[in-house]
Amino acid sequence: MSSDEVLLSASGVSKRFNVGSRGLLGGRLQLSAVDNVSLEIKKGETLGLVGESGCGKSSLARCLTRLYDVDEGTITFDGRDITNLGRRQMQPLRSEMQMIFQDPYGSLNPRRRVGSIIGDALAIHGNRGKGTRRQQVQELMEIVGLNPEHYNRYPADFSGGQRQRIGIARALALKPKLIVCDEPVSALDVSIQAQVINLLQDLQREFDLTYLFISHDLSVVQHISDRIAVMYLGRIVESGPVEEVFTASSHPYTRALLSAKPIADPRAAEQRDRIVLAGDLPSPISPPSGCRFHPRCPKAEQDCVTVVPTLEILRGAGPDAQRVECLHPLEADQDLSSFTPSIADTIIGADAAATGSREVAS
Amino acid sequence: MVLLHVTDLNVSFDTDDGVVKAVRGISFDVDRGKTLGIVGESGSGKSVSTQTLAGLTRGARVSGSAQFDGLDLIKASPSQRRSVLGRKIGMIFQDPLTSLHPAYRVGAQIVETIRAHDRSISKRAARLRAIELLGMVGIPFPSERVDEFPHQFSGGMRQRVMIAMAMALDPTLLIADEPTTALDVTVQAQVLELMRKVQAEFGTAIILITHDLGVIADVADDVAVMYAGTIVERAPRDEIFYQPHHPYTEGLLDSMPGRVERGQPLRPVKGSPPSLIDLPPGCPFAPRCPYRFDRCDQEVPVLQTVFGDEQHQSACFLPTEIEERKALREQLVEKGGIR
Repeated sequence: MSSDEVLLSASGVSKRFNVGSRGLLGGRLQLSAVDNVSLEIKKGETLGLVGESGCGKSSLARCLTRLYDVDEGTITFDGRDITNLGRRQMQPLRSEMQMIFQDPYGSLNPRRRVGSIIGDALAIHGNRGKGTRRQQVQELMEIVGLNPEHYNRYPADFSGGQRQRIGIARALALKPKLIVCDEPVSALDVSIQAQVINLLQDLQREFDLTYLFISHDLSVVQHISDRIAVMYLGRIVESGPVEEVFTASSHPYTRALLSAKPIADPRAAEQRDRIVLAGDLPSPISPPSGCRFHPRCPKAEQDCVTVVPTLEILRGAGPDAQRVECLHPLEADQDLSSFTPSIADTIIGADAAATGSREVAS
Repeated sequence: MVLLHVTDLNVSFDTDDGVVKAVRGISFDVDRGKTLGIVGESGSGKSVSTQTLAGLTRGARVSGSAQFDGLDLIKASPSQRRSVLGRKIGMIFQDPLTSLHPAYRVGAQIVETIRAHDRSISKRAARLRAIELLGMVGIPFPSERVDEFPHQFSGGMRQRVMIAMAMALDPTLLIADEPTTALDVTVQAQVLELMRKVQAEFGTAIILITHDLGVIADVADDVAVMYAGTIVERAPRDEIFYQPHHPYTEGLLDSMPGRVERGQPLRPVKGSPPSLIDLPPGCPFAPRCPYRFDRCDQEVPVLQTVFGDEQHQSACFLPTEIEERKALREQLVEKGGIR
């Protein structure tokens, strides 16, 4: 399975988008989507990337696959620096990194037959395997559990789960090394979702694939990943092997996220401590000072407002280390719900004050 | 005490491809102050059934009855229904952005809801009530935000506004159709917490429609599992999670990541749901069922009491004796019928 060989690594990657200006004489407004992110993906592993909507998961994935140009940092793929490669230089590498998208409806061209949707990549990058293109495509369809006789059908003739299988076949066509799965099962019903997850895991074993698996569903990520990275407002706040992060998370945000995870087990759900975070994700256009999580953090202290924490190793070493970006990380046995947000109200006002005003009202 | 009593509700739609039988003869009760969770996959009829109660399924063929507060919601005239909806039955939907009018201030929309049902309340009093409601659902600075537009609120905040609006006239029943599906987990936790609080404070009964068993585990008292337009199993929450009888309920639970050990494959239900135009002759779940036997293809099972528990009903021909049912599952697991 996973070795210690690194397939993709990013160091200090940042991505900003221009989103208009601050009036006539003001400067440009910039949205900081990805901020100083470093991570490594090992050959044959699944790295789960979790976080709430708008935290920069997809932007980061697009930077790593060079669908976006990055503003800062370097990206290395298979031992080669790809940060500044041009379009043409990237072309041969494209076949080695493929993507599977969330929306099985929007990501397939409705006017094209399944055979050509899957076969296009082969046409563009040149046939690699044996047999005609049709034979290869039908073989792929069989691998992902589609009926090869449906070669000439249109996407509209397939259900959501089957369409996601088409997307997977298309990603597999060029025998990639890395597949970025961007919320691949979020649009599917539970029973279908489980089928697709099993398929992805079977394919990983069979073809020695490496996955970057993006999802907001923590149960799915926990099930499929070897290591996970938790993102908050453009930064990775905690990362490490999945068991360690799930059982001994030390970033308050990770802890809150895990405690909010719905679990299909009423007794377990009743027993655990719920940490209900106040407020919403702040705007990435003007992120909070210091630690970006401090306005919502129950454990924040004065230095969190001014000092920007960096991702530090907590335990272990190398890619398998558990890293956390927090000035005051939680001990494994510490209970986050025992902390009361002390500085939140005074500093951020609006959203974080939600808890305060609720108490007044009730 | 029963607040809503639905019997033999049928809803079908005429389409170019044939008649879509979206809801087929479902019956259920909602008790005062309790939460009924209706769980099912897309197309199972869970939303259509409650939308029909609210008169929102235009052009559908509807039969059956739904007794609510001395009124049959199905046979009621539009004006009778209007007197109940909004006042005694509040509704919240999945998408809080499209359920709010983008061009009106949120306060004005709440005021309108209040005054549509009671003209005797002055605009000023209704506005004060709107501010009070916004505060109750945890909107910070309610007296300022009452004059803002929906786009100035985040997704979670909008859903709070929807709850405020639904609670404006202190309804006895709240229908929540996938209220947290569009929200992130941390915000979902806030909204579920709020619904619990509202229920505890006002004794509101809730029908919670969701596809997420995790949400059901969190808030429901009773659960109805829907499949292909019918209720296939109905029981108190813990029964559903720890002693399911129907193979579909079992399959849904087995499909959940987090219920199997890491590294083990999930045990999904094979295949996909049937077309509601062309249903199989017997049990609608038979084509996907790992237990399927001959009778399943010929006869349609009806809900019957199982495990000797009046509150637990399942529409399946499998043994109703708990030990026998368990033994069958073990056999099947051994044979590899359930991976």
